[in-house]
Amino acid sequence: MSASAVFVLDLKGKVLICRNYKGDVDMSEIDHFFSLLMLQEEEGLVCPVMSHGNALNVTLRNERASPVPCVQVFTEYFKELEEESIQDNFVVVYELLDELMDFGFPQTTDSKILQEYITQKGNKLEVAKTKVPTTVTNAVSWRSEGIKYKKNEVFIDVIESINVLVNANGSVMSSDIVGSIKLKTMLSGMPELRLGLNDRMLFALTGRDKGKSVAMEDVKFHQCVRLSRFESDRTISFIPPDGESELMSYRINTHVKPLIWIESVIEKFSHSRVEIMVKAKGQFKKQSVANNVEIHVPVPSDADSPKFKTSTGHAKYVPEKNLVVWSIKSFPGGKELLMRAHFGLPSVENHELEGRPPITVRFEIPYFTVSGIQVRYMKIIEKSGYQALPWVRYITQSGDYQLRTNS
Amino acid sequence: MPYFGSEETVKELKRALSNPNVQADRLRYKNYISKVIRSGLDVSTLFMDMVKASATVDIVQKKLVYLYMCTYASDKPDLALLAINTLRKYCADPNPMVRGLALSNMCNFRMPGMTEYIEQPIVAGLRDKASYVRRVAVLGCAKMHSLQPNTEIDGIIVNELYALLRDPDPVVVVNCLRALEEILKDEGGVVINKPIAHHLLNRMKDLDSWAQSEVLTFLLRYRPRSDDELFDVLSLLDSFLQSTHAHVAVATLRLFLHLASAHPAVQADALLCTSAPLLATCGAASRELRFAGLCHVQKVMRSQPGLFSTHYKRFFCGYSEPTYIKFHKMEILVELVNDENVALVLEELSSYCTDVSPELAQAAIAAIGRIARTYSEKCLDILTGLLALKQDHITSAVIQTFRDLVWFCPQSTAAVCQTVEVCVDSPQDSEQALLWLLGEHGEKISSAPYVMEGYVDGLKTELSLAVKMELLTTAVKMFLCRPAETQDMLGRLLHYCIEEESDVCVRDRALLYYRLLQRGVEETRKVVTGPKSDPSMSVLTERQEEPISQWASTFNTLGPLSGHDLCLQTAVISAADQPSNSTEKDPNDTEEEISLSLGPPLSHETFEKMWLDLEILHRQTLGSPLPRTALDMLQAALQLVKIQTLAFTPGDTVPWKAYIYTRSTGTLILAELLQGDPQAPGSDESLVVSVKQQPVNQHAIRGFASILKSVLQTLNDDSS
Repeated sequence: MSASAVFVLDLKGKVLICRNYKGDVDMSEIDHFFSLLMLQEEEGLVCPVMSHGNALNVTLRNERASPVPCVQVFTEYFKELEEESIQDNFVVVYELLDELMDFGFPQTTDSKILQEYITQKGNKLEVAKTKVPTTVTNAVSWRSEGIKYKKNEVFIDVIESINVLVNANGSVMSSDIVGSIKLKTMLSGMPELRLGLNDRMLFALTGRDKGKSVAMEDVKFHQCVRLSRFESDRTISFIPPDGESELMSYRINTHVKPLIWIESVIEKFSHSRVEIMVKAKGQFKKQSVANNVEIHVPVPSDADSPKFKTSTGHAKYVPEKNLVVWSIKSFPGGKELLMRAHFGLPSVENHELEGRPPITVRFEIPYFTVSGIQVRYMKIIEKSGYQALPWVRYITQSGDYQLRTNS
Repeated sequence: MPYFGSEETVKELKRALSNPNVQADRLRYKNYISKVIRSGLDVSTLFMDMVKASATVDIVQKKLVYLYMCTYASDKPDLALLAINTLRKYCADPNPMVRGLALSNMCNFRMPGMTEYIEQPIVAGLRDKASYVRRVAVLGCAKMHSLQPNTEIDGIIVNELYALLRDPDPVVVVNCLRALEEILKDEGGVVINKPIAHHLLNRMKDLDSWAQSEVLTFLLRYRPRSDDELFDVLSLLDSFLQSTHAHVAVATLRLFLHLASAHPAVQADALLCTSAPLLATCGAASRELRFAGLCHVQKVMRSQPGLFSTHYKRFFCGYSEPTYIKFHKMEILVELVNDENVALVLEELSSYCTDVSPELAQAAIAAIGRIARTYSEKCLDILTGLLALKQDHITSAVIQTFRDLVWFCPQSTAAVCQTVEVCVDSPQDSEQALLWLLGEHGEKISSAPYVMEGYVDGLKTELSLAVKMELLTTAVKMFLCRPAETQDMLGRLLHYCIEEESDVCVRDRALLYYRLLQRGVEETRKVVTGPKSDPSMSVLTERQEEPISQWASTFNTLGPLSGHDLCLQTAVISAADQPSNSTEKDPNDTEEEISLSLGPPLSHETFEKMWLDLEILHRQTLGSPLPRTALDMLQAALQLVKIQTLAFTPGDTVPWKAYIYTRSTGTLILAELLQGDPQAPGSDESLVVSVKQQPVNQHAIRGFASILKSVLQTLNDDSS
C-alpha cells in the first residue's frame, strides 16, 4: 500500500499542485475524479472511497483532497489552509510533499522535524543551511540537542472542552469531556520531566484516599512519553519537545451538568413573524465567570427586520448564517440571563424545507476544570541542574455544545 | 497547451536565466526558476539552463530545479543524461542533505536506460554513513526495479536490503521492507522468517506510527511455530492495541485476530481492548476518519454485537455530519438496540425522521421498521404518528416499512391495518406497497374497496407498469375475500386491461386471472393466495453472530469502507467479463462438469436484497431427505464443493430452511433448501431446492443442482 500521487485541488476541481510519486497512474485520472465527486454529491452519498477504473481515489475532503497528515502539516505551516496560501507557498508545499513521502511511502511526518529539513522562508537565504538536521541521527527524534534558553520555563495549559447534546425536550442525550494538556517548553538541554496528576488509578495504586481524583479514559500521549512507565506505575515521564506541543489528551465519560443551560421558546407565526425567547443559566460556581459567551440561535432563512432585547450583552443578526448571535462578555455563575428577539416573515412562504439546526453555545471559563483534574507537581531535572519554573493554567471551554430546538 | 504568446514568455524566461546579472543575484535567480515551474507552459526547451541552475549551494533552489528535471526528463532523455553527470557528482558531496537529494531525484527520472547510471550511486548510498542518504538509497532500489520491471531480480541488492533490516535508523528498516516488497512482488513479497519477525517486533517501539502499522501488516505473513512463541509475540504487541494512533491500534487488532485464530478468548480480549480506540475514531474530528471508524465498528459488531451496546449514545448523529456518516450511525444504532436503550434510541431515530434530507428521513424510518421486528408496539406508535405529518416522502417510506413489517412479523398485522385505513391517498412511490397490503389483508381494512375504487378509476392515467400489475393481483385477492363489494370493480378492471391496455405483460396477466376465475373461485384461491408472511425469513434478517474469521481478513483494509457495494460490484463485473468466454465454448460440451467457486463472501444484507429482487428460475425436488447427520457436517460438505451456507434453521424445525450461495463461470447462484413445506404436501420426505441466479445461465443451474444432489446422496448413504 503506497500512494501513487497526491493532488491538491481547488474548489472547482482544478489541480493546484500535484506530485507524482510512482509514475504508475495516468495523471489525467484526476480529471474524472471531480465529475465523479459532483455526481455523488448530487446523490447525497459522498463516500470517502471512490473507484474509477483501476485507480482508487481515496478522497479526503477538507474542501479539497489531500491526505490527512498533509493537511495537518500544511495548517501548521501556514496557520490557515487557503487556496491562496497554497499558491503563494507552492515552493514550500513541494518541498513538504517531497520530504513527507518518497515513492509513495510516508517518511517524516512530524511537523517539528520537518521544520528542520525545510528552509521555511525563501528569503532566509543568507544562512543557507548546509548541515544536515541533527534530528536525523538523534536518539530522541522529537528534540534537537543544544537548545539554550536564558530563562528556563514550562507553561502547562490544562484545557477541557465539553461536548453536550441536549434533546428538544430538555434531556441530556450525551455529554463528555475531552481534555488536553498542552506544553510550551522553554528549557535548555535535554531535560527529564515528570508530571503528577490527581489520576484516580494512580491514587488507587498508591493507596491514597480517593477524595479528589479523576478517572480518565482514552488517554493518549505524545510520542515522547514513556508508555511503559505509565502502564506500570502511572508516572508520566518524558523528554519534552521544544516549543509548543500537546502532551496528552484524555476523555472523561461522566455525566456532566451542562455548564450553561439554555431554555428557548421559538414561536413561528407563518406569514407574519418569529418570536424567540432564550433564557441562559450559568450552572457553575458563583466565583467563576464564563468569558466570551456566544449563543447562536438559528432563525428561518427568510426572516427580516430583526429586533432584540437583552438583559446583558448584545445580540446581532448574522443573515448569511441564518443565526442570531447573542454575545456576553462575562457571565458569572448562578446568574440567569434573558434575550428576546423578534423577526418579520414575508407573506409569501418559502417552499424549500429547512432543517432545524440546534442552538450552539461557545464559552470559556478560566481557572476551572469541570472534571476537577489538577496538576499536582511538575518535576524538571536536567544534567546542568538549573532551576526551572512550571506555570499552570486551567481553562474549561465549550466543545461540540448543541441544544436541539423544537420548532 | 500552448497558447498565443507562450513562446514569447518561454524565450523571455530563457533570456533571464542565462543573464549573468540574474545569475549573480540569488534571489532573482530563484524567482525566475519558480516562474518557470509555475508558468503552466511547456518549458522543456529550458532544460539546459535549468541544469546549470542546479549548481548552487542553495538547497531550495536545488529542489526546485530537481522538480523541474524530474518532470521533463522523460521528454528530453538526451539532455537528462547530461544532467545525470552533474547529479552523480553531487552524490559524492560532503553534505548528506545534498547527497540524499541528488540521489533521490536521480532515481525519480523515469526514462529508459537509467539503471546503468543509477545503480552504482545507489549501492554506494546503501553504505552511506548518513541515515538520510540510506533511506533514499533503499527506496532507490525499488524505484530502479520499477523502471525495468521485467528484468531479473538483482540478488546482491536483495541480500543487501535484507541485511539493512538491522539498520539502526528505524525509517531505513521500514523502507527496506517496502523496497523488498516492491522488488519481490512477483515472488510473493518480502519473506518474514523467524529472526526477521522477532527483530521487527523488538524494533516496533522506535518506529513512527506509519511504519508501525505497515510493519504490523507485514507481520501477518509470519506464523509462530508454537503456542509459547505465539503468546510471546502477542504480549510484545499488547501495548499497541491501545496505541494513540487508531490505525496502529486497528492494525494490531488485525494481527491479533489473525495470529490468535485458534484462541477465541484471546481474540475477544483484543477486541475489548481496541473498542476504546475504535470508539474514539468514531468521534474523531476528521469526517473521513470517523467514517473509517464506523465501518470498522460495524465489522466488529458482526461477531460481537454486545461490545458497543453501552456506548450507543456515541452513535447519535450530530447536526452537521455528512449523510454518509449518519447512514452508518443509524445502521449501528439499529444493531445496538436492547431492552434498556430502546426508548432513547427510538426517540433519537424519530427525530431524524423529519430531517430535511428525504434520503435520511427514509433511512431513519426504515431503521425504525427494523427495530419494530422486535419492539413492534413502540415503533408502530412512532410510525403512525409520522403519517399525521402528511409529508409525501415520509408517508411513502412508512407504508413501505409497514409492508416489510407485516411480512416479517405477522403479529403486527392488526395494528398496521388499522393505521393504513387512514392513509388512503398514498404518494407515488408507495402505491405498490399499499396495494400489496390491501390485497393481503383486505378483509381487515374496512375502507379497502374504496381505495381500490380510486385506483381503478384512475387506471387510464396510471403510467407505472408495476402498479398496474399489482393492482390486478390486489383486485383478484380482494374479490376472493370481499366479493360483494369488489365484483363490479374487478370486472371493469379486467375489461379495461384486456381490451384497452397496450402493454402485453399487463394484458397477459389480466387474461390469466380472467381464465383462472373461469375455472371457479376455489381454484383461483388455491393459485392466488400464498402465505401472508414468512417468519422463517427471519433466519436471514436475524443476525447470528458471525465467526471472526469471516471478516478478519479484510479488517483494516479498504474493504470495510467500500462495504457491501464492493461485493455487488464484483459480482456484476465478473458477470460482465464472462459472456465472451461462454460464446467461445462449444455448445456440445454442456455435459461437462461446471466448476463452482466461492468468490468474495456475500453479506447477509446483499443476499437478502438480491433474494427479494430476483425471480425463482428453477425449482426441483432433490429426491433425498435432509441427511440425519449434524448440520455442520452438511455445511462442511457443501463448503467442500464450494457452496457457501449463509444461514439455516435449527435441525429439528419444520419446515426446515437453509440459504446457500455459490458462483460459477460468471454467475452468482442463490438457492433455498426447504424440507416439509406445508404448501406442498408430500415433500416431507425430500428436500426442495429453489434457485435464483444473476445473470441467468441455465447450464450452471443444472450443474449446481446435480452437484447438490450428489452431495446429499453421499451424506445420506454415509449416515444410513
